[in-house]
Amino acid sequence: MTPPPPVTETTVPPPPAPGLSRRRLLGHGMAAAGALLTAGPLSGCASPASASDASALSVWDLFQGGDGMLMDDMIRTVSSGTDGFEVDRTILDWGPSYYTKLAMSAAGGRASDVAVAHLSRLPGYAPGGLLDPFDLGLLAEFGVTPEDFTPAVWARTRHAGAVYAVPLDVHPFIVFYDKEAADKAGLLDSSGELTATGSPEALLEAGKALAAATGASGILFGHVTDTAQSWRQFAALYAQTGAAFTLPDGGPAEIDIDAAVRVVTFMQRLFDGTTNPRNLDYNGAMAGFLGGRGGMVMLGEWELPTLRKSGIPLGAAPFPQVFDRPAVYTDCHGFVLPHQHDPDPARRREAHRYVAAMVKQSLTWAKAGHIPAYRPVLATPEYAALDPQSSYADAAEVAVLDPPNWFAGAGSDFQNRMCQPLQSALLGNTSAEKAVRQMVREADALLRRPNPVA
Amino acid sequence: MTTIAPPGTGGRTGRAGPRAGGHHRTGHRGTRSAPGSGLLFVLPFLLVFALFMVWPLAQGLWMSLTDSSLALRDTAFVGFANYAEAFGDPDVWSSLGNTVFFTVVSSVPLVLIALVMALLVHTGLAGQWAWRLAFFAPYLLPVTVVTLIWTWLYQPDIGLANQLLGTFGLGPVGWLSDEAVAMWSIAALTVWWTAGFNFLLYLAALQSLPSAYDEAAALDGAGAWRRLWSITLPQLRRTTALVAMLQVLASLKVFDQIYILTKGGPNGSTRPVLEYVYDVGFTGYRLGYASAVSYLFFALVIVVSLVQLRLFRRED
Repeated sequence: MTPPPPVTETTVPPPPAPGLSRRRLLGHGMAAAGALLTAGPLSGCASPASASDASALSVWDLFQGGDGMLMDDMIRTVSSGTDGFEVDRTILDWGPSYYTKLAMSAAGGRASDVAVAHLSRLPGYAPGGLLDPFDLGLLAEFGVTPEDFTPAVWARTRHAGAVYAVPLDVHPFIVFYDKEAADKAGLLDSSGELTATGSPEALLEAGKALAAATGASGILFGHVTDTAQSWRQFAALYAQTGAAFTLPDGGPAEIDIDAAVRVVTFMQRLFDGTTNPRNLDYNGAMAGFLGGRGGMVMLGEWELPTLRKSGIPLGAAPFPQVFDRPAVYTDCHGFVLPHQHDPDPARRREAHRYVAAMVKQSLTWAKAGHIPAYRPVLATPEYAALDPQSSYADAAEVAVLDPPNWFAGAGSDFQNRMCQPLQSALLGNTSAEKAVRQMVREADALLRRPNPVA
Repeated sequence: MTTIAPPGTGGRTGRAGPRAGGHHRTGHRGTRSAPGSGLLFVLPFLLVFALFMVWPLAQGLWMSLTDSSLALRDTAFVGFANYAEAFGDPDVWSSLGNTVFFTVVSSVPLVLIALVMALLVHTGLAGQWAWRLAFFAPYLLPVTVVTLIWTWLYQPDIGLANQLLGTFGLGPVGWLSDEAVAMWSIAALTVWWTAGFNFLLYLAALQSLPSAYDEAAALDGAGAWRRLWSITLPQLRRTTALVAMLQVLASLKVFDQIYILTKGGPNGSTRPVLEYVYDVGFTGYRLGYASAVSYLFFALVIVVSLVQLRLFRRED
């Protein structure tokens, strides 16, 4: 997931589970490669499996808190039975540093057998040989084929004709709303779902109606000092205009200035500080919604478990369409094979089998709010019964990810640089036009840099 | 880090040179061991120092002359291309400027406020231990805790700082979101967090001052202010030099609280040079370029240190 610091929840590592092999929380990537070779010192639980156990598959991921526990459940499931896996899981901290560690371990050629990465980060990994491609024949043998995934998502797993990731989920930037407030504001249809928006004015009106219903604010959005949030919102709205945001190697960036200005101007109108506050940070928006001071909040779906605990009658919907076409900004977690200089064919086969088994477990993963990328799971009645998850499952069909470039993606400096002018514009410190021009300048500056991964 | 290196590390390595030199000039009078036998005792330190300081320093210097990448194994020698790029990179200059600005606006209050706190406690306020604890306690907090507390204090909507302004009928301030204010906010946090360390240094110095001068001046009819100004403060000169030196070096190294609090925002207005090095090297994989920027910063720190040494030496 893409969590900023937790708000009301402290991230507690899940209790040790019997039968689950050890986990280590490594603070430093440099230690990781070494720790994988020696029996790691920090064992979270006393289990017979050890890190030096050659048969155990080493897996790296960045899932903590609720996500981490679900990942544990999934690993436990695939580890049971006669042909269960020996899994040696390492959890690292989410954020830019995760990708630093992953790159370092892969550059060293002694990486874990399987790791989790955002699909938006693949362009920085696959070209430089930091990842090894998947064998589609092997995956098919274990019951996973390209047809099992949404084309929009599968397209982002490929580089130079090979497949470098198997998507686990689609985690879009969506809206959560208070069903009672939305009902009072007259925004629910006959089936109790949020009515479609369809135009900028409609969303502005919805905000006013929600504000009247809550007696406080309408739509909450936290972006101050955040390094991803305003980019997520901009990217969703910009994609809805149908304009392309292309970052060709060497530059210059191909960005439709008029469309971008239209989007930022709308964001400024939506968050004008009266109906909808414009100066909230991530935790402030979260706290406001949990405290009933807003009828709707724009967040990543990964906050579902936290919001659900609050007892608010919670509804969810894909990010509202206000321009010409539906588009939802999203990212995807996928399984990757970090580069190994000398991979053991039997282990590689086992890694493929593991990845296939894990994506088939993604109904468990959906509990956290994530949309399973593996469509056979989406089609099950069990998934349809998940509320409010099934309300925004369509988001995967209109998914828009970061522009495919080595410096873009989750936790990247690019997102941070895009957020800075957007934040100034939302706070009213600069005009939409100036903000957009600065975004283009920043993108060009990044494009002028020599590519360190190819 | 704005936490300060263990007291004496800066001073001690700085002074080891001259002192060792003096020792050589006087010869080994009274020692019967062969010259150089002390080497055995410092050998473990030297080994660690060479392995973890000297070697990486040399490695970094070499790296800065290559296009070394975190993600690729093969690197090529590029001469001074990285340095040329750094000189023309506006982000290098703006982040260096931010670091210098932070150093100025944090160091001055950190020295002065620490001195005032130490003088207040030293005048013999009731409840000595309570004052000492209160002044020093924030320094014991880890950076993550401090930034978490202040994030909530600076919260735009429900933060205590803006609530207080509101009670006086003043509008809210974008403590971390206004480009003109954010660095001051971080400096304020840093002063609250680390002034306790300088306070302790000053207090220790005050308590070790001989009282004779003070008493003699009092007998001669000098008032309290006069005694402070003409007796106490001049005697604290050396301490001030030490505190200022340590503080400037610590402030130049600022990274963590800014990284957690604002990630260098808004609009790069609080991004210190160390964060730029981190962004370019570890997030952007360009280790060669990041090393070059580090070495430019290193040069700046050396210059600042030399200037300070000069200044204080003249005072002595």
